Amino acid sequence: MSAACLNFDDLIEINKPQVAEFQRLAELLPDSDGSPESAPMSRQVHIVEGLLVQTYGIASKLTKETGDLADIAEIWRNLASFCNSVLQALSSLRKRFPSCGTPELYDLALDYKLACDKRHHRVLQELSCQTIEFPKGIFPEPN
Amino acid sequence: MSDDRISEGNISRAELAELAVLFDQFEFAFDPLSLAARESESTFDDLVLSLFEERVKPNHPALPLHIFHSKIRSLCRAYLRKGTI
Repeated sequence: MSAACLNFDDLIEINKPQVAEFQRLAELLPDSDGSPESAPMSRQVHIVEGLLVQTYGIASKLTKETGDLADIAEIWRNLASFCNSVLQALSSLRKRFPSCGTPELYDLALDYKLACDKRHHRVLQELSCQTIEFPKGIFPEPN
Repeated sequence: MSDDRISEGNISRAELAELAVLFDQFEFAFDPLSLAARESESTFDDLVLSLFEERVKPNHPALPLHIFHSKIRSLCRAYLRKGTI
């Protein structure tokens, strides 16, 4: 791979500081009832929402292009872990900053984590099936 | 469903191609929460269950549905990468 290319692990690492930024903002800002002081929190919610959506799309494209099921499983596991870090960061913030979009982002991260977990689990099932000898006559013979 | 399954196997190439299209629409959807992705997954699961109950289970009662389902998913992945079964 060219040194100019990123792999999926790099992408997740690049995203992590944006999740950590939630904690820094939480220490700086007063609890929000929609006041202008909480605007940085709303902005950070939008940034992390964009990262989640975009990173999921990249994961979908990568998993379609690779034929290695172990690599595919690792991508979904890694993204599920990232979603989990977003959930952990928001677990208290969604109560402190409810008008900044934190509850909606929490729900989105949870839905995405469940989608990643499901794909990860099913890829592991596919991996375990690779060693099973299927009876002849069920599927067409390979060309 | 096509009529070429007898010469090809219980499940035909045309049926696998049809399943691969559905698989593509949900497994690789950029938005896993979209209605289109969820509908495609539901249709895929229904079709796999129907093929299993009607064509596979009667001849291979020891083969579990989840193993058949996983094999279909792997065949769909291969089909989408290579364009053939």
